[in-house]
Amino acid sequence: MGKKKRGHPDIEELLARPWCYYCERDFEDLKLLISHQKAKHFKCERCGKRLNTAGGLSVHMNQVHKETLQCVENALPNRSGLDVEIFGMEGVPEDILQQHNQRIIQNFYTAQAERQKATGNPPRGQSGGQGPSKKIKYETPEEIKKRLAEHRAKLAAQKAAAANGTAPPAAPADGQAPAQGAPPFPPQQPGYPYPAAGVPPVSGVPAVPGVPVVPPYGAAPGFPAPTGAFPPGPSPPPGATAPFALPARPPSGSPGAPPYFYGAGAPPPGYPGGAPPAMPAPDSAAAAGDSIDQLIRMAEAGIKPGAAPAKNGAEEAGGAGEKKKKGARMVYADTEVSPEEKMAMLPRYQWVEGAAA
Amino acid sequence: MAPATQFEVAQPPQDAISALAFGPGTSRRLLVSSWDKNVYLYEVSNNADEATLVRTFEHRAPVLDVCFGASPDEAYTAGIDHQVKKIDLATGDQTVLSKHSEAVRCVVFSAQHSLLISASWDCTLHVHNISQPSQPPLAVPLPGKPHALAASPTKLVVAMTARLVHIYDLPTLASAVDSQQPPQPWQQRESSLKFLTRAVACMPNDAGYATSSIEGRVAVEWFDDSPESQARKYAFKCHRQAAPEDEGGGDVVYPVNALAFHPVHGTFASAGGDGTVALWDAEAKRRMRQYQRFPESVAALGFSGDGRLLAVGVCPGFETGMEDYSGEGRTKLFIRELGESEAKGKGSK
Repeated sequence: MGKKKRGHPDIEELLARPWCYYCERDFEDLKLLISHQKAKHFKCERCGKRLNTAGGLSVHMNQVHKETLQCVENALPNRSGLDVEIFGMEGVPEDILQQHNQRIIQNFYTAQAERQKATGNPPRGQSGGQGPSKKIKYETPEEIKKRLAEHRAKLAAQKAAAANGTAPPAAPADGQAPAQGAPPFPPQQPGYPYPAAGVPPVSGVPAVPGVPVVPPYGAAPGFPAPTGAFPPGPSPPPGATAPFALPARPPSGSPGAPPYFYGAGAPPPGYPGGAPPAMPAPDSAAAAGDSIDQLIRMAEAGIKPGAAPAKNGAEEAGGAGEKKKKGARMVYADTEVSPEEKMAMLPRYQWVEGAAA
Repeated sequence: MAPATQFEVAQPPQDAISALAFGPGTSRRLLVSSWDKNVYLYEVSNNADEATLVRTFEHRAPVLDVCFGASPDEAYTAGIDHQVKKIDLATGDQTVLSKHSEAVRCVVFSAQHSLLISASWDCTLHVHNISQPSQPPLAVPLPGKPHALAASPTKLVVAMTARLVHIYDLPTLASAVDSQQPPQPWQQRESSLKFLTRAVACMPNDAGYATSSIEGRVAVEWFDDSPESQARKYAFKCHRQAAPEDEGGGDVVYPVNALAFHPVHGTFASAGGDGTVALWDAEAKRRMRQYQRFPESVAALGFSGDGRLLAVGVCPGFETGMEDYSGEGRTKLFIRELGESEAKGKGSK
């Protein structure tokens, strides 16, 4: 990949970067990652010895220093456990891997959308030769419908083949339609220009691309297969490219605070819980190859028309940030009287001159 | 992260910890003042794996602060009963040094100037010249209630309500005790933090100090009044936790209850209501380490004189709206032996 080393890497490059399970930093290559882990997470704080794994460090501390390693140093709050054996990229639990990929993707599209907004350039690889960048390039309803129809046909065929008559072909096809249809409807979705900012921070519900779109999607029963395709543990279908196979980034990770949303305590939506109610699994399975393109198209479509949606997004983001600020709850909020003064006033601690002495 | 060199003291105070202090120099004595009206004296064993309770000193009322004097046998306490006391740790004798008209919040001893300074909610400082016990203490009026007090080799920092910070020059204070004329502060500042100051600690190299507030923030400032030095001051957020989304998200912001500078490396530790202790490199503006969460809010913090030990006083935090508070049974004391370079900063980049 000699091209554009300095510029903005494309999504595949980003996803291919090795990253550290403990602190979510990513690295140019695996060697760097491993030396990072040895230096930052697997280094003995007593003698400075760098071990290869947390387990190794634990044994070392036990045998050499007679101490017990309780958690991995410099790790994100919920990643400091010793129960996972990590070496480089090995041993990273699948759900965490998915979360990470998804975050990368979202950050990527957010950044891309922002760049596009700022520069007016088209996304790379897309309509590169296209002339005036200001020209809004989004599909006409006809085009979309056509594509949707193609999609449907394709999916219905697949489904029919897969289900092999167990389900009446018509029903699933109907059920799938909205899900399939969801992504290709960008123009109707000004509030959904790109994954990160567009998804309203609804708690609990794993906000998934496509979900907020059409009510019929609620007819999830229309998908007989998908949930089974995503059992908690095992990896998603091999062909599934990450983007749509992933639950959207948890709402806590609002654009305002990208780097460490994991500490937020928001459970990794969807995956561990098993049955992800709103996961557009069929998308990922069927429309896998298409999804990135779709996303880009959506981003493009969402952003460009008059920049209004983008602005919406920005406002939303700002609003979220503000809300966050407002949401900050101080454990002790009296700005005049100190906790000690309050405690000293409690009968338990009160001092009355002459009463005691 | 937390090796077994951290241990819990077997006989912690009965109620919330208000302050703790290690003895001067290489002393392994640890004094802990508590809301249960006692001051506890512990001795940490040589291989730092246990601390034995040597004795307790009962007071009439909860004790808000404690510090060592010039020798490991001498201590001073600040009581809610308005008294500043000197305690002979060997004999247990208690002498009242001075009496304020309100509870005494803090006591600080300056070994270099042989001064004991107490700060009370009656909005005064009392400055005692310890080398001349017969001399009456000098009362210095303050514009607000003091909440935190700290001394560097030559300066005294008083943090008060309304974000007032006064810095006194200790030699000036020392001579003022003789003349009995309360001096003007050397500097008057407004806290860089927007909320009530919670703790102050001075750099051992006399260059500056750190303050913390009830709103999860720490500021680092320099004494030097020049614009260049003042431009170096900074503040940062810490001791916060993201709240679960179903509770509305946002951050839960904890007070930063205590600060302590490492006597050798000049790095500092902060203790928060979130039950964590973090080590910071003030020069490099980096967090060096954050220790594993303690079971309750961390109320007090102290390094030993040689910087090898870190004592952590843990008890439930007092939160807004509490009408009842008790640290009974939930107060704990931990002592951690630091590794050779554990608190050593990397220096600024």
